[in-house]
Amino acid sequence: MKELLVEIKDLECKIGDQEILKGVNLKVNKGEVHAIMGPNGSGKSTLSSVLAGNDNYEITEGSISFLGEDITEMSPEERSWKGMFLAFQYPIEIPGVSNINFLRTALNERNKFFGDDPIPAKDFLKMVAEKSGLVGLDNRLKNRSVNEGFSGGEKKRNEIFQMAMLNPKLSILDETDSGLDIDALKTVANGVNKLKSAENATIVITHYQRLLDYIVPDFVHVLNDGKIIKSGDKNLALELEKKGYDWLTGNTTK
Amino acid sequence: MITDKLIYSSLVRGDSNTSLDLLRKTPFPSRKDEQWKYSPLKKLKKLPFINNSGFSVKSISTLNLPKMNGLILVLENGRVNANLSEFHKINGIKLSFLSSSKENDNPIINSKKENYFSLLNSSYLSEGISIEVGSGFRVQENINIINIVSSNDSLINTKLDLILSENSSIHIRQYFLAHGKTTNGFINHNNNFIVQNNAALVLDKFQDLKNNFHISNDFIEQEESSKFISNTFSMSGLLTRNDILNNVNGEQCHSELNGIFTPFKNDHIDNHTTINHYFPNCKSYENYKGIMKENGVGVFNGKVIVHENAQKIEAFQQNNNILLNDEASIYSKPELEIYADDVKCSHGSTTGQFDQESIFYLRARGLTLKKAKELMILGFINEVIQKSENSDYIDFILERVLEN
Repeated sequence: MKELLVEIKDLECKIGDQEILKGVNLKVNKGEVHAIMGPNGSGKSTLSSVLAGNDNYEITEGSISFLGEDITEMSPEERSWKGMFLAFQYPIEIPGVSNINFLRTALNERNKFFGDDPIPAKDFLKMVAEKSGLVGLDNRLKNRSVNEGFSGGEKKRNEIFQMAMLNPKLSILDETDSGLDIDALKTVANGVNKLKSAENATIVITHYQRLLDYIVPDFVHVLNDGKIIKSGDKNLALELEKKGYDWLTGNTTK
Repeated sequence: MITDKLIYSSLVRGDSNTSLDLLRKTPFPSRKDEQWKYSPLKKLKKLPFINNSGFSVKSISTLNLPKMNGLILVLENGRVNANLSEFHKINGIKLSFLSSSKENDNPIINSKKENYFSLLNSSYLSEGISIEVGSGFRVQENINIINIVSSNDSLINTKLDLILSENSSIHIRQYFLAHGKTTNGFINHNNNFIVQNNAALVLDKFQDLKNNFHISNDFIEQEESSKFISNTFSMSGLLTRNDILNNVNGEQCHSELNGIFTPFKNDHIDNHTTINHYFPNCKSYENYKGIMKENGVGVFNGKVIVHENAQKIEAFQQNNNILLNDEASIYSKPELEIYADDVKCSHGSTTGQFDQESIFYLRARGLTLKKAKELMILGFINEVIQKSENSDYIDFILERVLEN
């Protein structure tokens, strides 16, 4: 019996006056990998942002539950503490704050929430050494300011490194393949695969099928105009690669 | 005018006669003066200041200052509070108080900085400290000078004269504080420094004068191959104004002016700086970070002048500001005047708000909103705060910035 991790029900949201999601339904069980594909502007990144709790978007309908708990109104930090992780499409640069210091603060904030003691420095550094190896993050990047002056590939590796450190139950990878060359893509995908277990799940948001050669999905969903219009297995992604989106969206202007 | 209302019973002798003549000829500044365009003096002008020299600070621990090593000199309401001070002889240092100097001693430095407030200071000095560091002495102990106003409406004129002889070095920490619920006091301070050949001076200034006034006129003259680093941390004040004039009178000098200012509720913090490069082959760096909140007002006016023949100068000036809400404001004016043709100079100013995407990024990783903002502030001031190499002092400043 598969255990339900996240359930999105009839989710609608808008930013300003613009409606973006218009009724999204999705169930993700533990141990599964879901890919969400779709043309530009279909709402893929919005969906990932809303799942992580970005309050720039106003949820007008529907709900999100995580491990049986309604998290629709929950703050981003509490979602994170409970095991949600969003790897950003454009990881933010935070000048003056070292990567290590930031991660340690993040872990300790979570410990505080669960009433645990701060992580001892020795254990923390051991963990850093172990997890950074997973994505081949250059040693010197660990002590540099968060993402500042990192190349596109380094930023994405850093996202997966942070994911490894936080060990989430649900990882949402928002266009993690964008800006990556093929070698970096393999390393990053490899890192993600190593973190996969029967206890966690991954939602991969991507434009192209390429990433799905390396992170193989159990389910593929096509998002268009704020709704999931088709779901299938990994073969759907291959079909999309061949035919594009137009045959599904009915858009024939291209 | 302030001076008309003063009754000075405990006036310390200085060069007061000449200064007083000059002061009488100098008009009280107003916002029509370019130098005072962004800082109001009306309230300061109207207040009936008195000269109160009583003590009310019971112990130094009530001030919540960081651990201090070296000398601790406490001035309260313009007089030495010996009970709170820790004084011992340091090899190579000649230190004296103006109040105990002899009639015919001359001040060790004649400042070239003459404006209304520096003249008011020298005309009506409450107390002054003179320090001479002997040639070749690299002093390991700090000199901590704590300047407190603890009595309402008092006008306090203090000064520090400092000469660093050739090849010497010293680290000075000044604290300007308002004690408890003191209001409308005014610490008007002059720093007069000469840094001779190959000498190095680090000055950390901490200013926390909620509901009180504070003006510091700093005059620094550097000779060849000398180093001067000034770190100014201004937390609060009805008007806190730093007016720094740094004259670089020799080649191969290094000058650094750093600052963090955090005007919050009803605070007004003004940093005016001038660096004069008269000689070639020198470097100067200026970096001020402002964080404005509630109706706090910040001012930055930095000027670097590269005079004719001062070739191969490298001068960099930067002021970055964060406004935490809509009522807060900043006036920023970085200025460069260059009269030499082979120099490398830059200046810049930025003002912005917290980036919401950055805050979301941090929160999505498990930082609370409060922690996320703290970390952003930390990141913002980090570069400047690391200039004070002492971790106790850094922690102290961080705590004070974050608790605001």
